[in-house]
Amino acid sequence: MRLKPTLAVAAAVFAMSAANVLAADPVKVEYWSNSLSPKFDSTMKDITAKFNKSQTGIEAVWVDVPWDAFQAKVVAAVASGSVPGLVNLPKPWMDQFAQQKMLVPITKQVAGFKNVYTSGALQDVTYNGEVYGLPWYQVTAVLFYNKSLLAKAGVKEAPKSFADLLKAARLIKEKTGVAGFSPKLNDGFAGWFLYEGLPVVQNGKAVFNSPAHVKMVEDFKKAYADGVFPKDAFKMQFEDQIAAFGSQKIAMFGEGAHALKRTQTDSPKVYAQTGVAGFPEAKGKTPFGGFLFLWSVPKGYKNVDAAVKLGQYLTNDENQLAFAKASATFPSTNKALDDAYFKAGANSKDPIEQATGVAAAAIKTSRTLTISGLPDEAAMNKKMNDELEAAITGQKPVKKALDEAVAFWNSKFSGK
Amino acid sequence: MKNSSSYTAIAYLFLAPALILMGLFTFWPVGYNAYLAFNDYSIADATATWNNFAHFKYLYEEDLFHSALKNSLLFLLVVPVIQVSALLVAKLVNNKLPAMTFFRAAYYIPVITAISIAGVVWLNVYKYDGILTWFLQSLGLIDEQVNWLGEPKIAIYMVMIFTFWKGIGYYMVLYLAGLQSIPTEVEEAAILDGANAWQRFWKITVPMVKPTILLCTLLSTIAALKSFQEVVVLTRGQADTYTALYYVYAQAFTNFNFGRAAAAGLVVTFFCVLLAVLQFRFFGEKK
Repeated sequence: MRLKPTLAVAAAVFAMSAANVLAADPVKVEYWSNSLSPKFDSTMKDITAKFNKSQTGIEAVWVDVPWDAFQAKVVAAVASGSVPGLVNLPKPWMDQFAQQKMLVPITKQVAGFKNVYTSGALQDVTYNGEVYGLPWYQVTAVLFYNKSLLAKAGVKEAPKSFADLLKAARLIKEKTGVAGFSPKLNDGFAGWFLYEGLPVVQNGKAVFNSPAHVKMVEDFKKAYADGVFPKDAFKMQFEDQIAAFGSQKIAMFGEGAHALKRTQTDSPKVYAQTGVAGFPEAKGKTPFGGFLFLWSVPKGYKNVDAAVKLGQYLTNDENQLAFAKASATFPSTNKALDDAYFKAGANSKDPIEQATGVAAAAIKTSRTLTISGLPDEAAMNKKMNDELEAAITGQKPVKKALDEAVAFWNSKFSGK
Repeated sequence: MKNSSSYTAIAYLFLAPALILMGLFTFWPVGYNAYLAFNDYSIADATATWNNFAHFKYLYEEDLFHSALKNSLLFLLVVPVIQVSALLVAKLVNNKLPAMTFFRAAYYIPVITAISIAGVVWLNVYKYDGILTWFLQSLGLIDEQVNWLGEPKIAIYMVMIFTFWKGIGYYMVLYLAGLQSIPTEVEEAAILDGANAWQRFWKITVPMVKPTILLCTLLSTIAALKSFQEVVVLTRGQADTYTALYYVYAQAFTNFNFGRAAAAGLVVTFFCVLLAVLQFRFFGEKK
């Protein structure tokens, strides 16, 4: 009979599929990284494979989403209810999403292991007293300076405070004609107030028009008017600052160590005379230019514990170190930051390695300087930045500009 | 014999693929946008609640939106300039002379250049120590370096010049098609009648490409009111160049206030429709 073998095969298939059903399917946790592909494909695939090997109940699925599409994709996912387990957000986006209740607070889940992260990073992932993210990689600014321009101006050592920095920049302008320092202004001014330890909002009211605030902006205005800052300081983005430094149009600027890679290739002469120092801390007790990426659980995700478990794995010492080495960024766990890899740079003669060492020392206190929880963030930040630009570029008296911006902010707060 | 209703059915059948796609990706989003404009939309709960025109009342009071709308309307200045220029350029490259294909291509290249790349190039043109300053200084027209995109009084006009450069080729091609559909006999007859080039342009060319003028003016008006990308790549809304669609974008993707963004979008649409009606009155066929 021909029926028997057919029956036997059918029975075997049935038995196998029944066995499959009985063995519990692992929980699939999809996680979205932010613009890491294709450069970091191998690192991410490696981390994912290792995690999946170590787990029986959870299966991680890595997906990379480009930066431009990221926010829209997360919004669409949350609105449709079909969300991944983890999303890779920069700190300001985390605040915005948390404000919109688009993220799940994970305070309880991380209570047992949160102390592995640096204090600065932990503060960054906390919004309104709840933890909304697992800190991952970060960058912070160090101060790059052109040794020969500083020497020509008679500046003997790298500035230790922001006041020193402005003084040195002025000397450079006076003696060499080159703009001494390019402050990062294209992302707005609120970060500079926070860097100086000046509050922007207190008790639900905007307070950035006090005499101390006015004094700080007056200092910027004077520096701008005298050419100590470049004329297009408000327009200069990351690559513009690097280009200006490479062509000796600015003598000092603050950026992450990775910024120097282009100077190394495009302007080897300038690279050879580049000095590196920690970006001086002001009263805010943090360097300028800190920026943290983290992992958050979007609202609507069912297996929060599984997602946090994957997040914990992605952000553990070993994996953070692996990613930091691959990307020339910094981890956000204390132990990984103490690794010999970061210490080695401090004694190096090479500016990039040196910058890495200097930044690793500073990054434990580094915070992402941003204002969050505003009722109309788009309009309020725009008003503040427009008024500050008008004040610094001399189109409006400083006090008047700050008063108008504060009045606008408070009108938004009262209409909340 | 087929009756007329079966012809209609077949016509709709042919239209169906395009209609379904347009319905899904154009009409439905437009309709949903209009619905959101009258609601408070919460992404987290995916709920929309009727809010009694709250967004429109807010926009009516909001200075930032007014100045953004003013800038978008100011952007309309580029429309007549780009149209007249595109028509003239089309007329020039419509000549049967050597190297005309080269010129046609040259004018069209900005259209197909990615706006982000064009933006980077133009940022260098407009830099305070960039090409434009150098050029004007070497002609002796200016003494000081000018921060072209940083001065609120001039920045928006600089963005318009970029829009003009980026768009002229597109309209040139449309006008070229219009010009080539003019029968040569008409022009020859005018020449025999003693009409000079100026008269021929205004009495023959312009009236005969009127449908193209209507189309191009309409398209460029909508494009001007929708100006957003050029602002993003050049000024990011700094120096009084914030436009209405920039406001829409910021409300949606900084504030996540999709209702208010939808309402602002609807106001921009209203202006688009209003201007379209006016243009049909001016350039449309009178029956």
